[in-house]
Amino acid sequence: MAANFWTSSHCKQLLDPDEVDVVHPLDRERGITQEEFRLVKIHMSFYIWKLAQQVKVRQRVIATATTYFRRVYTRKSMTEYDPRLVTPTCLYLASKAEESTVQARLLVFYIKKMWPDERYRFEIKDILEMEMKLLEALDYYLVVYHPYRPLLQLLQDANITDLTQCAWGLVNDTYKMDLILIYPPYMIALACIYIASVLKDKDTTAWFEELRADMNVVKNISIEILDFYDTYKIDPQKGLLDEKINPIMNKLPSKA
Amino acid sequence: MRREGFGVARVGGGGLGCVGVGDGGRARQQRWLQQYELVGKIGEGTYGLVFLARTKQHRKSSIAIKKFKQSKEGDGVSPTAIREIMLLREISHENVVKLVNVHINHADMSLYLAFDYAEHDLYEIIRHHREKLNLSINPYTVKSLLWQLLNGLNYLHSNWIIHRDLKPSNILVMGEGEEHGVVKIADFGLARIYQAPLKTLYENGVVVTIWYRAPELLLGAKHYTTAVDMWAVGCIFAELLTLKPLFQGVEVKATPNPFQLDQLDKIFKVLGHPTTEKWPTLVHLPHWANDQQHIQGHKYENTGLHTFVHLAPKSPAFDLLSKMLEYDPRKRITAAQALEHEYFRMDPLPGRNALVPSQPGEKIVNYPGRPVDTTTDFEGTTSIQPPQPPSGNAPPGSVSAQSVAASRAVARQMPAMVGGQRIPAASMAAFNAAAQPGMVGLNPANIPMPRGAAAQQQLRRKDPGVMQNPGYPQQKRRF
Repeated sequence: MAANFWTSSHCKQLLDPDEVDVVHPLDRERGITQEEFRLVKIHMSFYIWKLAQQVKVRQRVIATATTYFRRVYTRKSMTEYDPRLVTPTCLYLASKAEESTVQARLLVFYIKKMWPDERYRFEIKDILEMEMKLLEALDYYLVVYHPYRPLLQLLQDANITDLTQCAWGLVNDTYKMDLILIYPPYMIALACIYIASVLKDKDTTAWFEELRADMNVVKNISIEILDFYDTYKIDPQKGLLDEKINPIMNKLPSKA
Repeated sequence: MRREGFGVARVGGGGLGCVGVGDGGRARQQRWLQQYELVGKIGEGTYGLVFLARTKQHRKSSIAIKKFKQSKEGDGVSPTAIREIMLLREISHENVVKLVNVHINHADMSLYLAFDYAEHDLYEIIRHHREKLNLSINPYTVKSLLWQLLNGLNYLHSNWIIHRDLKPSNILVMGEGEEHGVVKIADFGLARIYQAPLKTLYENGVVVTIWYRAPELLLGAKHYTTAVDMWAVGCIFAELLTLKPLFQGVEVKATPNPFQLDQLDKIFKVLGHPTTEKWPTLVHLPHWANDQQHIQGHKYENTGLHTFVHLAPKSPAFDLLSKMLEYDPRKRITAAQALEHEYFRMDPLPGRNALVPSQPGEKIVNYPGRPVDTTTDFEGTTSIQPPQPPSGNAPPGSVSAQSVAASRAVARQMPAMVGGQRIPAASMAAFNAAAQPGMVGLNPANIPMPRGAAAQQQLRRKDPGVMQNPGYPQQKRRF
């Protein structure tokens, strides 16, 4: 059902943590390690975000696009599905699903403008063909739930709306990881509130206790998020450095 | 472990999926279609074509296949198709069409949606009574159709989905078989999940028929609520009773303009002039506020809805109808409330097979089947020599076997004939077990609040979605 998370396809498709980050055999053959796979996904999350800034879509569309992208690579190889094409196409498809269609030619235009690297360049035709392949790869499940809405409601409920900016930013960063494929969105929201309240020195212990949410899960997600910041220390504007990502991308076949 | 394959039948994937591009894709496309035996074309719209086909497996079941063309050069899969798939993939209810398969043909970039087939729809049922039988629809059938329509709509609304394009041709009714006489709401191309802000029809450049459009939309309301669907149900209820559209306004098609003066005029003539006492938010509606001359200036007498629908003003049927046609969307009856209305608690009680009366001895109407154009193939190509009708669906020698598209000239000469002749569908076996699904609690943010395990439990409760609910995608009719 469309508007109840617990009966949604999103809920039913949630994966166990060990099911994500599995390198596809075809990619493994090309020497892609699990760490490199993770880096490509981070890199491409930045790519979606940067492209979305140009075509001006809502945060929700970016989040949906990133979720599609991450779902696709739990099933398909980067060897067969070039991330440099899959990424803008996910944004294209998400813009339709979220009712704010961005034209393919606009995406093609901005890609050309922003990424001089020829291996990132694609034609409209390529995007349209990939759109159909993505629909299949996603098994036509397109409704995605995000932590943003529960975040705002929970912050209000806890009467700590002054944490909104901090927690919202944390939620944005969770899309650099695969959390959206593993946990219910409201749990991700709770973890971001938990971190934000620690960072901003707000005592939310009583509120969390009253919630009776599984605090073990909330804390585990929080640790994963903090670990992520600790491990990668990525420039939030630039993303991964070229010298870090290019050698990995070079292992993948680029378009003929 | 991957948790997939619920409710809606497994779509695509496996051996059915078609991944190839180019020549190989064409071969696979043939293979996909080969699981079906094409009967013919049954509908046509701006999005593409609708075909009737039969499965070749053990039990030959009928399938309606909706083929979407690429909307425009360079636009990819039409957003309408995307929305329809995305919603149908999430929902499952006895009174909603069932999507059974999706297929993509990479060669010509077309998209096929396969639905369980429904032989009838309210448009054709009403028309049959009006033009062929010259007889009103029996009260049991009207009540059963309405109850099931409301039951499906209550499910959609409980799941934060607004249909937005309810009209008789979108309300399907199953033909002979296990689900005979069961109502299926179809055509979700305009449907919306309304947890996200909705754009107006105007912004989306969508044109839908105006006869079933709620007055708040006609007056320029920017936000859709479930009440717009309930207005349409009211219009459909009246049409089931009288066999003619209640508010038959003439549409101004020139510019995409939500303001339709003639439609409002038709409504006001029947229901009287709306007043700010009865409808306080009226003053905020753009076209009410801006158009003093036409709307506010003209004074309408309340001629009385009951005289139009031939119902006693104190009857429960009339009470329900007038609550559906309440001007103020906030006061308009909801689907859930309507299902509890006294009208449905008195004889004749509504039943699952709407077409077969519960009272023994009552006359059973044999509704004609859908006209099938057997000359058109899956590519939409029409052959000059019509092949032999492969099914018992098209009566031999009937004009209805001809293509609506190809025989437009013929149609102009014999308008009454096209689609007019049908094979009667004999039917028995009625039972009166109206299935009322238990609905899941509403919670737009999907947060388990009110807190506690009990609340979560309730949210987690699975919807008892009924399997095997056939349906068929609707063919667009332009009025």
